[in-house]
Amino acid sequence: MTGLGPGGSSDPFFDQRLRVLGIVMIAVFALFLVRLFQLQVVEGEQHLQNSLRNSIRTIRLAAPRGEILDREGRVLATTRPAFDLDVVPSELRDASRTLDVLSVLLGAAPERLRGELGDPRGRARFQPVRLADDLGWESLARVESHRYALAGVLTEVRPRRTYPNGPLAAHLLGTIGEVRQEQLDQDNGRLAGYRAGDVVGQSGVEALLETQLRGRAGGRNVLVDVAGREVEVLDRIEPSAGGRAVLALDLDLQRTAEDALAASGAQGDSVAGAVVALDPRNGDVLALVSLPDFDPNAFSGGGVDPVTWRELMHDPARPLQDRALAGQYPPGSTWKPIVAAAALQEHVRTPSTTVFCPGYFSFGNRSYRCWRKEGHGTVDLHRAIMQSCDVYFYRAGLELGIDRLAQYASAFGLGQRTGIGLEGEKGGVVPSSAWKERRLGAEWLPGETVSASIGQGYDLVTPLQLAVAYAAIANGGDVVRPRLVLEIEGPTGARVPQPPEIVAHVPVDPEHLARVREGLRAVVETPGGTGGKGRVPGLAVAGKTGTAQVVKLEHTEGLKGNAIPWKYRDHAWFVSYAPADDPQIAVSVLVEHGGHGGSAAAPIAQKVLARWLEKHSAPAPVQSVAVQGPSDDDSSAAPPVDAAADPGEEHDAD
Amino acid sequence: MRIERRMAQHGEWWLLGLVALLGAMGMANLISATYSETGGWLSPVVQRQLVSLGLGVAALVAAMLIDYRRLERWAPVVYVAGLGLLAATLVLGRMTHGNQSWLVFGPVRLQPSEFAKLGLVVALARWFQRHPPGEIVRLRDLLQPGLITAGPVALIIMARDMGVALLTLLIAATYLPLVRIPLRAWLAVAGTAIAVLAAVWLFVLAPYQKSRILDVLDPGRDPLASGYQANQSRIAIGSGGLLGKGYLEGTQTQLRFLPTQHTDFIFSVLAEEWGLVGAATVLTLYGSLLIWGLVIARGSKDRLGSMLAVGIVGMLFWPAVVNVAMVLGLAPVIGVPLPLFSYGGSAMIASLAALGLLLNVSLRRYMF
Repeated sequence: MTGLGPGGSSDPFFDQRLRVLGIVMIAVFALFLVRLFQLQVVEGEQHLQNSLRNSIRTIRLAAPRGEILDREGRVLATTRPAFDLDVVPSELRDASRTLDVLSVLLGAAPERLRGELGDPRGRARFQPVRLADDLGWESLARVESHRYALAGVLTEVRPRRTYPNGPLAAHLLGTIGEVRQEQLDQDNGRLAGYRAGDVVGQSGVEALLETQLRGRAGGRNVLVDVAGREVEVLDRIEPSAGGRAVLALDLDLQRTAEDALAASGAQGDSVAGAVVALDPRNGDVLALVSLPDFDPNAFSGGGVDPVTWRELMHDPARPLQDRALAGQYPPGSTWKPIVAAAALQEHVRTPSTTVFCPGYFSFGNRSYRCWRKEGHGTVDLHRAIMQSCDVYFYRAGLELGIDRLAQYASAFGLGQRTGIGLEGEKGGVVPSSAWKERRLGAEWLPGETVSASIGQGYDLVTPLQLAVAYAAIANGGDVVRPRLVLEIEGPTGARVPQPPEIVAHVPVDPEHLARVREGLRAVVETPGGTGGKGRVPGLAVAGKTGTAQVVKLEHTEGLKGNAIPWKYRDHAWFVSYAPADDPQIAVSVLVEHGGHGGSAAAPIAQKVLARWLEKHSAPAPVQSVAVQGPSDDDSSAAPPVDAAADPGEEHDAD
Repeated sequence: MRIERRMAQHGEWWLLGLVALLGAMGMANLISATYSETGGWLSPVVQRQLVSLGLGVAALVAAMLIDYRRLERWAPVVYVAGLGLLAATLVLGRMTHGNQSWLVFGPVRLQPSEFAKLGLVVALARWFQRHPPGEIVRLRDLLQPGLITAGPVALIIMARDMGVALLTLLIAATYLPLVRIPLRAWLAVAGTAIAVLAAVWLFVLAPYQKSRILDVLDPGRDPLASGYQANQSRIAIGSGGLLGKGYLEGTQTQLRFLPTQHTDFIFSVLAEEWGLVGAATVLTLYGSLLIWGLVIARGSKDRLGSMLAVGIVGMLFWPAVVNVAMVLGLAPVIGVPLPLFSYGGSAMIASLAALGLLLNVSLRRYMF
């Protein structure tokens, strides 16, 4: 220790010990400096990162999902701001009073609000608690006008999906919901960049166009204090909105079809069924109806509430199922034009070949009935289609054989998915000997061909498939892929048209298809045809009725109409297109357990076609001479006398 | 002679300047620690601390101007007054932070242990003035100063302020290197100390206190509970880096991630905002002050002055060591303020009074 000035101590022992004290102190402070160097320089970067992680939070800003419009620009799905009400417990001045005021403003029981708020302690007091989702404008206005008295109450805005037409086209539009962990686990790249809790299209167009509609989430980095309160926004990346999709759908036709189908039931009965309307020229899906339906708005709050979900899941009518493309039904007589086309192309029949129908057909040791007990007498192809003569087609089918029949049915797109792109589409069944061998391990029986010739037995189709098949008949043989989306407009305004697509061409010569079309036109337009109820004044309509048997005839033998239990009643079909000589719309209608196609299904198609005509002033030449009383009685049931191989079960299970 | 005297007088001014500089730094740092957008610079804490600073400066001037040799007579009074204040806290004291160490008179809140420490130093200095430490060769000769120390320590322990009790013991222990007791006696003392510590661990410490000690040995042990403070402090200091984040720019400080940042963890604020450069500067200035104090102890003409200087150096050294070691994660979290930096009026006044005494000793070394 160096003395400072004179008068230093005369005690060397004291000096020495003071020096020791000084050295110890210097050593301790030197140790501190070393430690500071270690913390601030050696480990500095790591601590800096920790301090940033402490105080910087990235808050995701959801991108507004793109709009979905119909072909005329009407909004089917959009995104609107939704206001949620949060409360920050630490900032409440008088919690009890504030909750009372809120309960009045929101019209909620104060006990419920109190329960939601709970009794947060510690740091949880600084975290907002959500008291109300998606306030209505009125509630919001009330809360905002009482702001001054509501310290600690926040309204948060977030984009919310909304479907202004409610349940209209619900199945087609689909639903959104939070992405589920298993979806992320099983994803093949489509959901890259999604995190649990993000909203994703779960069905319908919402799922199909997920990448185009979703937009890009933005975010903001905020400085938060130890309580998690935002102190300052450091930077902000605006979310970019998703693209907008213009669908081929025509809202007017959709509404007409939905209303017509819903109104077709008896008073108070809920109707199950489907309506599909396509443009045969390009596959445009003009209407896609499935009943019963649901309100997709129930799903758009980030998740459907558990009660609604349970109801939807456990409803025996299965409202979530899209019957237009996931409902599989025996086609019944709507199948006959396919058989007719095959028979002509394979030269099994000529247009003028006649068959005598005595009202039944004997094959092997069985007798197969024609739906008209007294028989049709001598029929050619035209009359056989027009009056839906079963015997004619029993014979034609037998001569074709099941495998040739199956080949043509498949060529028309039956028994396979149409590729519309919506989730849950079913393929149906077009049976063949190979199919039976594979599926049932049994040999095909000739008697089964008889049933298959009139669309019973193993045959299963969806309403959408039949619409595509009839569109092919109508447009000269092109099997189109149903087109849902006309164009997608990106966030920058770039429009990407979605071109129509022809999947296949049926191997049937044009003149044969023309013969079939003539028959189909007669079904509706000629007195005595089974589809007279599909007639639209001013529009030439072609179509085919169908009545698909659900159970063995013995369940319903001797009963008439309403006496038959609902679940045993036949499914009613009517598939049509118009104008007959320049087809621009094909409509397929199925009414579950509706009874006869001519009486239950045809009037629905009629309304859709009438609405279409209203909108398209270009009139088709009308040739119907006189409108007489319709003779729409038609039943394709082909009951063998013994039930060994008959279509005795319900086939519309998915 | 004349020249040297002038130099010496300049020396006192330099020392005063050093104290003023540390005090100003402490105040600036406290402003940052309590700064808020809404409250601005003059937080209530800063306002109170400014009042304490004023009172402290007055105490410093008073302690400098009286002749310290009068303490020969008055030391017992000072000491007993300190004990009285401590005893009063036990009777009247408010429970705060788990211990009874405050006396509250209206707006005035006193922490008597700070003044009791000064009283203890004065009393020990007087005792060593009468019993030259160089002549003490037996442990039993330390019985009297031991008892003098035991008085305030016992009262502080009764107030359950373990940190201050330990600190008071350490301040008294500053005198131990000065006595002429052989090594083997010290080993005996060390053995006894270990035994006492073990007994304290086993029978006295509450679980939370033990866990604070364990946190030092293993900082990741419980990062969200007892280790939270130490962890956040380390992050604050470390993130300051070489040059710091800038005054009022420390995120740990300004966003209040730092626990008790205006009292026990005030040094973390400094290190975060001023970096290694700022923290090292303050430590160096502080160390210089202590060494200066030892030089004054050596230069004093009488033993009372020397012993006072040593005790005052101890009063400033030990809290700084315990506090900075805690803040740097080298010692357990003990609620010990950093003199001249931490918020706390009693500590500020007592520290400045002690520094006044130190200047007093320095000034009077030629006067007889």
